[in-house]
Amino acid sequence: MRAVIKNNIGIFTPQGFLDGNNTQAFFTLDDIKTTEHLKVEMLLVSLKKVIFFNKNGIDTFVQFLLKMRLKNHIIVGFCDYNDKKYIAINSFYQDKLTFSLFKTFEIASLFCSSFNAQGKTVLLYHKDPSQRSAMAIELFERGHNPIISQTKDDFRQKQQNAAKYDFIIEDTYLNILGQRIATKVKGNAIIYTISGFLDAEIIENFDITYHNSSLHVGFRLFIFDAYKVISINIHALRFFTKLSTSAAEYDAVICFAGMSFEKTPVKFQEELEDSGILFFDSIDMALKENQEVAKLSKGTTSTSAKKSLNRVVVQRLPEFINAVITTVEMMTNIKAVKKTVNIQPITIDKHEGELLSSSIGFYGAIDGILVLVFPISLAKRSCELLIGENTDNLEDILDALAEFVNIIGGRIKTLLRDYDLDIDITLPRTYANTTNLQSTVENKKGVQANLSFDNSDFIFFLTR
Amino acid sequence: MVDKNDIQEYIKHLPPTPEILNQTLLYLNTNDLAKAAQTAKKDRALSSYIKSLVNKPIYGFKSEITNIAQAFSILGLGLAKQSLYNYSLSLLLPDRWRVFTINKALFYDLQASLSVDWHKILQYLDVDDSDIETAIILAPASVIICESLFQDHIQEVNLLKSSHNLSYNEILYRLTSLDLFDISARIAKLWGMSKASQELIVAFKKASEQPQINILAKWMYLLLFFEFSKPDFVKAGLNDFIEFKPDYVSDVYEEFAKLMDIS
Repeated sequence: MRAVIKNNIGIFTPQGFLDGNNTQAFFTLDDIKTTEHLKVEMLLVSLKKVIFFNKNGIDTFVQFLLKMRLKNHIIVGFCDYNDKKYIAINSFYQDKLTFSLFKTFEIASLFCSSFNAQGKTVLLYHKDPSQRSAMAIELFERGHNPIISQTKDDFRQKQQNAAKYDFIIEDTYLNILGQRIATKVKGNAIIYTISGFLDAEIIENFDITYHNSSLHVGFRLFIFDAYKVISINIHALRFFTKLSTSAAEYDAVICFAGMSFEKTPVKFQEELEDSGILFFDSIDMALKENQEVAKLSKGTTSTSAKKSLNRVVVQRLPEFINAVITTVEMMTNIKAVKKTVNIQPITIDKHEGELLSSSIGFYGAIDGILVLVFPISLAKRSCELLIGENTDNLEDILDALAEFVNIIGGRIKTLLRDYDLDIDITLPRTYANTTNLQSTVENKKGVQANLSFDNSDFIFFLTR
Repeated sequence: MVDKNDIQEYIKHLPPTPEILNQTLLYLNTNDLAKAAQTAKKDRALSSYIKSLVNKPIYGFKSEITNIAQAFSILGLGLAKQSLYNYSLSLLLPDRWRVFTINKALFYDLQASLSVDWHKILQYLDVDDSDIETAIILAPASVIICESLFQDHIQEVNLLKSSHNLSYNEILYRLTSLDLFDISARIAKLWGMSKASQELIVAFKKASEQPQINILAKWMYLLLFFEFSKPDFVKAGLNDFIEFKPDYVSDVYEEFAKLMDIS
């Protein structure tokens, strides 16, 4: 059984009956290996389609999840259960839970840094006051507006006005021990969330490979959301100054947002500033100020670290294009017609607003960015299979396009593995208009293949 | 990938039920077990299939069943008819499985296990209808159809499944507006199975006008997932080939759990 990834959450959905006899059968060694390598913020088991489970059945999943947490420092747990299942799990573990419980997947998403929807009004209740506070803090830090009920009666009363709240949280338990530094992409920036006392452990919890790869594939702005940081010690200070120095090689900028120096020596701030780190009151200010910085540094790449698309990718190009074609054909049941293939900067003829696009970066043995540009009608048709219906909701279509490009990223990863080339893929990005896309790949030469699906033009663009 | 034409082609190329099997069924339908056994004996593959099926441990017979007449009389009309259709189904088994990691022996185990448990359920519900008893063979039929339709597209389907939590059945439906059970019902029609069987297999999604069919559909659906949750079938990949909706069966679950001794 493989996890499906949504909102940077890996989710397993077993079905039917779970007991001690069958749960081992859900995971092959390959599944375990694949899960270990997932770049997700949370790993959950959905109980939505489970009608029966016993302690042994749940325990196999718990052991598996805890192993994954130890290895990847992520939030693990269960979601999508009813009251009866929640009570059963709590009674199995007698309130000594070592994992999280989220009543629904949507509630889990609220606690995930990669979930872009912010400013949600959330009513919450838990019988344990420290749980109530922990959840409220986490929600607040993610830009939501938590409203805590101190008693169950108060909660039930407020619950009657359900329309006032975007989400209502109960029967949920947050266990965030051992969590890795969360990462999300916002525009052209990568945002890392850090908290508490920062010491030498940050070296272990920070995914330096992902960071370096993001530099390689063109990200130039990195913001540490440091609102929850209490203090920094000398080891963490050294880590950040080193990070900033290496980012300078790429003309990249590292910022701290919301950092308070109440409990951290002020000279640490000076040292961080000397190393090139910028400080802002909020993420929005950091993003706004650095739009200019991003423009200045756009297109520059450290020569020492450059791993070009070059010969390897050019040799595999027909297979890359084929992977895209067969995926679109599979999704639409329309045959592709290949028109032209050229090496050039991306050239888009259609008027802005008629096109949607998505991109995904890959890094490792080779680095690059794959961009797909769809006419809206083809994008809708391609995503119909994923969405399950014909929709005009742009947000849904863009979400499905992100999944779509993720599928293609997965295919390319598999394809290259056959040639002993190991790559990882970044989070997918989508663009509702071509202006944003152009600013990402402007002036970059790459391979552009113009294809047609039922007379709808489609662009495949591969660059580094 | 798969489209409606593929489904039409698949159905068009299904082999007809062998003549001996049709004659045997005719005798069973007139309750003439002796003549049915005499006819079935003429087809060595058929008689060997029935003997091996009935001697599986799940049937729980103490001594070995060595001839067809004995097998039919022990099985009774419903199970005997069912075993004939199961044999027809075995003729559709693919040479090589690619979607599911299953083999002939494991598939026969699935058939046997479903048959025995379905019989137990019908006894519990006091349903004595050989057509209803036979309908259970259409559940494993859907596994064969799924394998046959998707085995040339396994890579694409797996990618789709890994990015989105879609069952094979849902993928097929979204591509063709037909699902595995619609196709099973068409096969049932082609093989001359009763209208009740055809209705029962699609009642999971489209309620029948007969209340009894709707209740039986819930029991059958639950039984299907009970079987698909067994370790061998989970390993074979059958657990997620169709989507399980616990709410659909919530009103019969307690009784089912009691009958199947689930704790």
